[in-house]
Amino acid sequence: MISATDLRLTFGKGTPLENPALRGMSLTVNQGEFVTVIGSNGAGKSTFLNALAGEVLVDSGKIIVDNLDVTRLPTHKRSARVARVFQDPLAGTCENLSIEENLALAIKRGQRRGLTTAVKKQYLDQFRASLSSLNLGLENRLGDKMGLLSGGQRQAVSLLMASLTPSAILLLDEHTAALDPKTARFVLELTQNIIKEQKLTALMVTHSMKQALEVGSRTVMLHQGQVVFDIAGKEREGLEVKDLLELFEKQRGLEVDDDSLLLS
Amino acid sequence: MLSEIAFYGALETGLIYGLVAFGIYLSFRVLDFPDLTVDGSFPLGAAVAAVLILEGWNPWVATGFAALAGMAAGAVTAILNVKLNILNLLASILTMIALYSINLRIMGRPNIALLTEETVLTPWYSLGLEFHQVPVLLFLIVVVVALILLWRFMKSETGLAMRATGANARMARAQGIATGGMVILGVALSNGLVGLAGALFAQSQGAADVTMGVGVIVIGLASLIGGEAVLTPTTVVRALIACVIGAIMYRLAIAFALNADALGLQAQDLNLITAVLVTLAIVLPGVRTNLTNRFTRKKA
Repeated sequence: MISATDLRLTFGKGTPLENPALRGMSLTVNQGEFVTVIGSNGAGKSTFLNALAGEVLVDSGKIIVDNLDVTRLPTHKRSARVARVFQDPLAGTCENLSIEENLALAIKRGQRRGLTTAVKKQYLDQFRASLSSLNLGLENRLGDKMGLLSGGQRQAVSLLMASLTPSAILLLDEHTAALDPKTARFVLELTQNIIKEQKLTALMVTHSMKQALEVGSRTVMLHQGQVVFDIAGKEREGLEVKDLLELFEKQRGLEVDDDSLLLS
Repeated sequence: MLSEIAFYGALETGLIYGLVAFGIYLSFRVLDFPDLTVDGSFPLGAAVAAVLILEGWNPWVATGFAALAGMAAGAVTAILNVKLNILNLLASILTMIALYSINLRIMGRPNIALLTEETVLTPWYSLGLEFHQVPVLLFLIVVVVALILLWRFMKSETGLAMRATGANARMARAQGIATGGMVILGVALSNGLVGLAGALFAQSQGAADVTMGVGVIVIGLASLIGGEAVLTPTTVVRALIACVIGAIMYRLAIAFALNADALGLQAQDLNLITAVLVTLAIVLPGVRTNLTNRFTRKKA
């Protein structure tokens, strides 16, 4: 279980560019929940994810992951509990390392690294088995450099890497946004399968309201650094994009002016 | 043509600079950390080894301490960068400039002669080899051992974490790697190798001098880039072998240039030749691909 309580974070404090990104954000995600997070540009989606991952430290508030207060811990000290897939397909893997070396990095996520060989023989069967589940033929290319793979393939491997070892939460930061529609669908399906099979707790940021409603078990909308609504279960079933927009307007008395939210 | 002695001399210094090139490969290539500390850690290694040898220490122990001193210097540079957020290049320049004073303090004078002292080379002269072949044999062994150890390290869990740190720090952090610690360890290791090279250089040349570090970074880079042009570094072991090949090639090129009477070059032209060779090493691989591109375009 993870809980974020009253998170506040202002970038560029005391400068003309002062930007309050999180203004009292609170969210609790229970074990096994798959939450989709939606919001317009600047709503604080990425900042929230970065705060959970430890890439930015909040000014105030509290983040608890599996009963551990991680609020002040840097990224690498949270990594045993927090797995992550980035938006940029190039960001989640190292292009000049081989596929097996990337997987070997991921299999030790959050653990001590010693001086024994990184790519151990006993890992290889596991690597091959999980790669073959992608149906991309990568199981026969373990020694290939990551840079030889396409963006979609790299994002698929990033997902595998994030789920290779157990975590309290999997953070997905618009991880299909940079892919072409067909590849995006493939990666999204893969995401759903992995989350279902391994019963993962996940938080997925998306730019598409449609996707936010179709995927996962709960949807949260952020606006100006706060949660404006949070729907799950029966309430969420059968909900359509226009209902979501009405909900949003009712909550805030605002018009949604971000076209990309409506169009995608 | 090159005399036999000049040839072995070039091999000898080439092998020593192979160690420097290993260090520069670690900082520039693996960690993507442009580190100029080496201009200070090379004479630091020489100074520490020379002083300890004069004090009567075992030369291998003295050489070991020289490597440790180099590591400490590298760690200082990396800590300035990681903990105090000073730009990496500037941090290394600060350490380098500080080391000039420190090296003078260690030696107590600008240079120390070691000609009559017992060095790591002394026992090897009784093996019956030619006088100028002895250092080549010993340094070859040192370089091969260093290469194997470095290669094993790069393949280890920690080594892989270091490579990930230089290639994609955000990803490395997400995998639980303390990237700051990796930078400190890597730059320390890099300068440890350079300190070791400085200690061996002082013992083979018979003297340590406070100015002997000037341009070490340029020579190391020339070796690294030249080696990469000859042997494409697709794997770690190829990259390391390329370092040694590059360093020896560089030294041979210098020896040829200085020995070719027709060119009329003298010892004082060394730095000019170095600069020209480095420029060529950087530019030539690009020219080659340009030419091939033109060729293939014509064909198509």
